[in-house]
Amino acid sequence: MFYRLSGVYQTNYAADRKLWKIPADRWQVIAVLVLALMAPLYVSPLYLGSYVLPWVIWSAAALSLTLLMGMAGQLHFGFAAVMAIGAYSSIHLVRAGIPFEIALILSGVVSAVIGTLFGGAALRVKGLYLVMATLAMQYLVDWVVVNVPWISGGAHATLRTPAVNFLVMPIDSLAARYWLALGWAVLITLFFLNVKRTSFGRALVAIRDKDFAAAVIGVDPFRTKLAAFFTSSFLGGVTGAILAFCYYRAVTPEQFGFNVSIQLVAMVLVGGLGSVIGSYLGAGFVLLAPIFLTNAISSLAAAGWVPVSQNFLSHLPLIIYGAMIIGFLLFEPLGLAKIYDNIRKYFLVWPFRHAKS
Amino acid sequence: MQHDPIDLAAAEALHPNWKRDDHLLTRLAANAAQHPAEIAMRERDRGIWQEYSWSDYLTAVLEFAAGLEARGVKPGDIVLVIGDNRPNLYFAMLALAALRAIPSPAYPDAPTEELAAQMARENIRCAIAEDQEQVDKMMEARERHPDLRLVIYDDPRGLKGREPEGVAGFDDLRAEGAARLKAEPALAKDLIARPSVHDVAVLMHSSGTTGAPKGIPLKHGHVLSGVRNAAAAGYFQQGEVHMAYLPIGWVGDFIFSIGAALDLRFSVNIPESQETVMHDLREIAPTLYFCSPRAWSAMLTRVQVGMAETTGLKRKLYDYFMPRAMAAERAKLDGKPATSGGLSRWLGEVLVYGPLRDRLGLARVERAYTAGEAIGEDVFLWFRALGLNLRQFYGQTENCALAVAQKPEDISLTTVGRPFPGVEMKIDEHGEILLKGDNIFDGYFQNAKSTAETLVDGWLHTGDAGQIEPDGQLVVLGRVSEVVEKADGQRFIATYLENRLKFSPYIKDAAVIGKGRQILTAIICIDFQAVGQWAQEHGVPYTSYAELSQSPRIYDLIAGQIAEVNAHLPHGLSIDRFVNLHKEFDPDDGEVTRTRKLKRNVIDERYGPIIEALNAGAREIDFKAQITYENGQTGSLDRVLRLSDVKGAA
Repeated sequence: MFYRLSGVYQTNYAADRKLWKIPADRWQVIAVLVLALMAPLYVSPLYLGSYVLPWVIWSAAALSLTLLMGMAGQLHFGFAAVMAIGAYSSIHLVRAGIPFEIALILSGVVSAVIGTLFGGAALRVKGLYLVMATLAMQYLVDWVVVNVPWISGGAHATLRTPAVNFLVMPIDSLAARYWLALGWAVLITLFFLNVKRTSFGRALVAIRDKDFAAAVIGVDPFRTKLAAFFTSSFLGGVTGAILAFCYYRAVTPEQFGFNVSIQLVAMVLVGGLGSVIGSYLGAGFVLLAPIFLTNAISSLAAAGWVPVSQNFLSHLPLIIYGAMIIGFLLFEPLGLAKIYDNIRKYFLVWPFRHAKS
Repeated sequence: MQHDPIDLAAAEALHPNWKRDDHLLTRLAANAAQHPAEIAMRERDRGIWQEYSWSDYLTAVLEFAAGLEARGVKPGDIVLVIGDNRPNLYFAMLALAALRAIPSPAYPDAPTEELAAQMARENIRCAIAEDQEQVDKMMEARERHPDLRLVIYDDPRGLKGREPEGVAGFDDLRAEGAARLKAEPALAKDLIARPSVHDVAVLMHSSGTTGAPKGIPLKHGHVLSGVRNAAAAGYFQQGEVHMAYLPIGWVGDFIFSIGAALDLRFSVNIPESQETVMHDLREIAPTLYFCSPRAWSAMLTRVQVGMAETTGLKRKLYDYFMPRAMAAERAKLDGKPATSGGLSRWLGEVLVYGPLRDRLGLARVERAYTAGEAIGEDVFLWFRALGLNLRQFYGQTENCALAVAQKPEDISLTTVGRPFPGVEMKIDEHGEILLKGDNIFDGYFQNAKSTAETLVDGWLHTGDAGQIEPDGQLVVLGRVSEVVEKADGQRFIATYLENRLKFSPYIKDAAVIGKGRQILTAIICIDFQAVGQWAQEHGVPYTSYAELSQSPRIYDLIAGQIAEVNAHLPHGLSIDRFVNLHKEFDPDDGEVTRTRKLKRNVIDERYGPIIEALNAGAREIDFKAQITYENGQTGSLDRVLRLSDVKGAA
């Protein structure tokens, strides 16, 4: 009902490919952006630091991964390792006296190079075999990080991030860290939206749908797959650095374990493969749903509404959370993004049922 | 010169109000000089809108005019223009006006025989055709009318480089003209200065309901007077956004898309094709919208079908808010004090009316008009309830279609409003509507007899029966010639009854027959979309139009609709029997004109056996149907048609 398409017309094809052609979409994007920018002003530091900030960063991570999994169709079960490389590289680079801004880019490059090496496996294997190859990367990287003291400072060591400035802004206060993370998420989002409209993006989609068919129409699978791993790992590496500097501020190897990789895959799948809004929704769901469920159930239990044993109570949120994931994927296999899309279309064709009325 | 040479003194005596240099070309030149970059025209081409500024417009007109002249088009030549709405066809019509030649626009679906007859009548030697299809028709017509020497095409597809003899491209002529303009710098000014307000700007044609169409020459002055009268009444405003989708052979399109567009600087928007009109309409969202009552009704049917199959909440909202707004409009129509509607109106605007207007492409329409025939009460009220200021007007080709219109405040279903400033109106002793003004034409093309019958002392005899209400508003009853009597002496106007029938969503066309007969009978053409939807909802199986039309349950449905109409007719007047025809009336079969007016003599002749059987009270008839195939062959088909009483069946 608030989608109005009257008077929306294009006079050239470039304008016809605009990202948000419909005014209602445009003001929704602007409203969300303004709300996100102003968050430090109206969200309490506790919520900003422990919910909103990680949500933004993990969304950026999910976006990096969905470029590879959703667009290029290459499964990756070791993405936390990619982020770990970024996080550790950035800290060491900054400690070596390299400016933070350049360290961010270099840490991305390091991740990209290592990620692409492992991604090379994708040239020969697909599907579950590729999952195995990326799992190998996860464990190899984990092992190296833990066992090379020069990197992690030892198995149980914690590596503090040095104080840095981004351009002129000291990355110290919560708001500054939030804004930096938000800026990176917005940048990745814009990159992702635009990649979809380039020949590179279309090549990725062609590879995803059938790599030998793509080769027939002139897309080089070798270069495209490597480029996909390179781009995705670069973005993942920088996100890892942002995660270290803006959120954890003290890095240990456990923060980038196998379970984190699985969580990232869950974010991408629950959100909807290859979708921007899905990455945000998926990250939000995977990150925040357990917290909210735990809070809700413990307050219900405090009120005496849940007459189960204490032991069972602690597992109840996880049970419901798992049921929710299964439920969402049964209800809409294409993820939260598709649910959003259905809702949007419901209003887009208002008051009719479909567009052709 | 083929038409009467203009005697300036006599012309000025005839129209003392007109200024010699105030014609369409000077209006175009003025727009191009004062607003060169403003968009004058847009055409949707492969999904995007190509824009033409006023200076592009003038350049195209002048170049094409120079090219045409070099190819031998002389002042006074009549040039056929045929095709869908296209910028180049509009440019061509003005280029012809610059050369003092006369464009004679034709309907794009006119068959070759009609065109050949028109060419012979008007001694046409040059034609401008939209595309290959029209050029093919011209080639065929040329065999019967060899005087056709030059055919110019607009769309190069299938023609470029393969032109038959005597066929040239619009762009080639433009290029030749551009070269001429470059070589002769004074030519551009000269072309604009050549025409006079007393020149014929366009040769329109009567619809040919009875006999061959009559040529109706309209001069620059007629067109501009009509437009200015309408503008003075607030009927058009400066800078409207206008959608040019009605056929160029219809007078209204020339008046809206050229006359008013030049004088009031409209931006004229041309859809990609006839099939995409509704979609393109939404993209452009015009501020001025005209369509026939039939088209308004089709739009309403589309919405009703859409709402019937929409999801629960949306339908509930529609069912809640729409009747309320309709009731409010009905009260307004009945003269009760208007209520603002308060919160309910506001909510309805947000939830139903606004979105629907947006979906229909009418979101920005400030001036919505209909004319041509009576509009159904439900249709009229529905669109007004939607928040559109839908108004009726009345006019004919002879008066540039601009004579009488409703003001925003005097809205009524039965009247068509008051005459425009500058137009005089009276009703003569036979009840015929007479009009006088500067927008009234000066006589038919080479038809002194008809001219003498129609124009008496400057008064145009419209042939419509009407009466003027005490408040000065005009009521149009029907054609004077159509008032007929039943055997018992009761008078009726068949068109009036047919229009009442057509207000039903299930009836697309109807012919009421009763002249000199005991009872009134009707031939009904069902509306395939609406009745098909009804059949689906009520489990009536069908495969084709013919089968659906003969279903007994559909007969019951239609009988109910007719009974409703009968209930509102004067005593003694009722439609007693009817038949559902196995096909729709089709202009290609000659049953209706291109503007969908009934040709009664054809109906009487072709369906004579059915009419006799209806009157004789038969239950069914074995009818041999004449059909004409697309390739021109004719054949016949045996059909058993059911005949039904209105009363017993319902």
